[in-house]
Amino acid sequence: MKQAGSLFLMFLIAVGTAFLILLLIGEQPSTLIQAFRYTFFTRFGLGYSFYYTTPLIFTGLAVAVCFHAGLFNIGAEGQLLWGSIAVVCLSHFFPDLPRGFALFSGILAAGLAGSLWAFIPAYFKSYRGIHEVVTTLLLNLIATAWVNYLILYTFKNPESQAAETELITIGYRLPQTLFATTPANSSFFLAVLLTVFLQWVLFKTTFGFEIRALGENARAAELSGITRSKRLLQAFLLSGFLSGLVGVNEVMGGEYKVIEGFSPGYGFTGIAVALLARNQPLVILFTSFLLGSLQNFSRELEFFGDVISKEVAWVLQALLIFAVGTRKWWEKKWN
Amino acid sequence: MELILATLRLATPLIFASLGGVLCERAGIATICLEGIMLVAAFAAGSTAVISGSSEMALFIGVCSGCFLMGLHELLTQKADADPVVSGMAINILALGLTPLLSKFFFDSATNTPSLPPTTRLHPVPLPLLGDLPTVGILFKQSFLIYIALLLPFVVHVLLKRSVLGRRIHSAGDGPEALSAAGVSVHRVRALALWIGGWLTSLAGVYLVLDHTGQFLRDMTAGRGFIALAAVIFGRWQPIPVFLACLFFGFSEALQMVLQNVSVGSKTIPLQWLQSIPYLVALAILIFSRKGNKEPRVFRRRPV
Repeated sequence: MKQAGSLFLMFLIAVGTAFLILLLIGEQPSTLIQAFRYTFFTRFGLGYSFYYTTPLIFTGLAVAVCFHAGLFNIGAEGQLLWGSIAVVCLSHFFPDLPRGFALFSGILAAGLAGSLWAFIPAYFKSYRGIHEVVTTLLLNLIATAWVNYLILYTFKNPESQAAETELITIGYRLPQTLFATTPANSSFFLAVLLTVFLQWVLFKTTFGFEIRALGENARAAELSGITRSKRLLQAFLLSGFLSGLVGVNEVMGGEYKVIEGFSPGYGFTGIAVALLARNQPLVILFTSFLLGSLQNFSRELEFFGDVISKEVAWVLQALLIFAVGTRKWWEKKWN
Repeated sequence: MELILATLRLATPLIFASLGGVLCERAGIATICLEGIMLVAAFAAGSTAVISGSSEMALFIGVCSGCFLMGLHELLTQKADADPVVSGMAINILALGLTPLLSKFFFDSATNTPSLPPTTRLHPVPLPLLGDLPTVGILFKQSFLIYIALLLPFVVHVLLKRSVLGRRIHSAGDGPEALSAAGVSVHRVRALALWIGGWLTSLAGVYLVLDHTGQFLRDMTAGRGFIALAAVIFGRWQPIPVFLACLFFGFSEALQMVLQNVSVGSKTIPLQWLQSIPYLVALAILIFSRKGNKEPRVFRRRPV
């Protein structure tokens, strides 16, 4: 209950600051109201909110799993790029798989591609002790460059002028749901299922217990017989798998192709999602909707406003991370 | 000669940023926010130059903004108990959002500010005698920030190894308890180290705008802050080795630019591959560098 209270408080602070920034910048209050209405009270707006929420559930879970193990996965951004391009690659080489099998293997390919990219920092963290923060940051930049190459050359759509890949075949496309005419799709349900599954894995299985023990106190965990390197590697690979699944929402559900620079920083927003939820999977469902609709809201703001740009979402996110990062301090102050 | 010049020019921002990083991390605070601080300083300098038309003003405002952000980092991590990695990441995200937002507000374009008026760009300052040399002379006709960047590692070395403040910074990173037992405020030492560090880091951003590109472009730092961080780790948190690492990274970036014009027959190497070279080099060096015990000891205590 207390957590819900402080979450709500932080949300209020964020919205309050948003209003303040907007008024300072000279935007009309009516713009705000209009953008707010379009985000939350139209079918179209809600559809987009859900479309932005789904990847944030995946990356939020990915970051949270790593946090539980005491790891810092800032590489979700790179992993999700590989997850997306993997689906296109699969559809390029096996265009005629039977539908059920195609969907299953598409999801698997997206996840495994993310895992594969996460393997590099994971291996060097677990077995060589190289700190994962700098390696994942660099790997994000490398992934961006290489995936852009694949988009522009290997899987380029010859009929399109824009920097985007060819469309995936019909068999790989997820059914639309709930919100017609928006890219919201059934991968949202996959995300919800995975959230429940991870809640169970983290808090009810030996694996979950062991990685949480490592995150709490690595030395004590090791002395009690937990193999540190193996568990860290597994946690990181699981995290990469989850980030890779963003490709399912983007490619198999939403656009049916990979567009250069499609991700508005889902990987980094995932950090905010996980921190706000204190790494509890079920809470991530709510915080990701909060940040997903914030994303959508700022997009609408840019559309309706004169001087505002959608990057205001980043500023608010940073403020939210500041607020939640200093939680211990201000909770102590106030109680 | 071209290659050496390009190396020098590309290494300069890395040198500033990574020496700033050395100071901060030596004081025991992890700084992955170098990237964000560079970006904000670059924007502040660029927009001030356009609005005021004075490069001194731009330099001043750029440096102030960087110091301010680093001060924020210090407050959050020291006074408010935030994790340095979390706080650093938040500062990076703030920089990513704030710069386009303000750019659109001031100049009606989220992607770049107008080109700087030529008078506000840093002028090359030829050194006496050396600047008149035949072929190598051009190396000594650069803006003053490049000379500072070449001298700075030695200054920071002396500061860290020979001064009282340097010794205090060292012990703030190695054994803060001992420092406070000796009656010195750890907070104050760390704050000072972070301010100087922020000052140096923002010079990197100022250099990028006033000298390198002459215009603020969105995300113009392009991961240089992270490469600088790799240089700090590879140089084992010591100014001179870090400086050499920066020169090496600068060279790999220069090489990348030279290779862009190379073609084998009718084929050129894809731009995207070349762009990833500096990051790949940094990653490889990070991975294969020998594990040592030179890092500030506070870092070893972290559960990570």
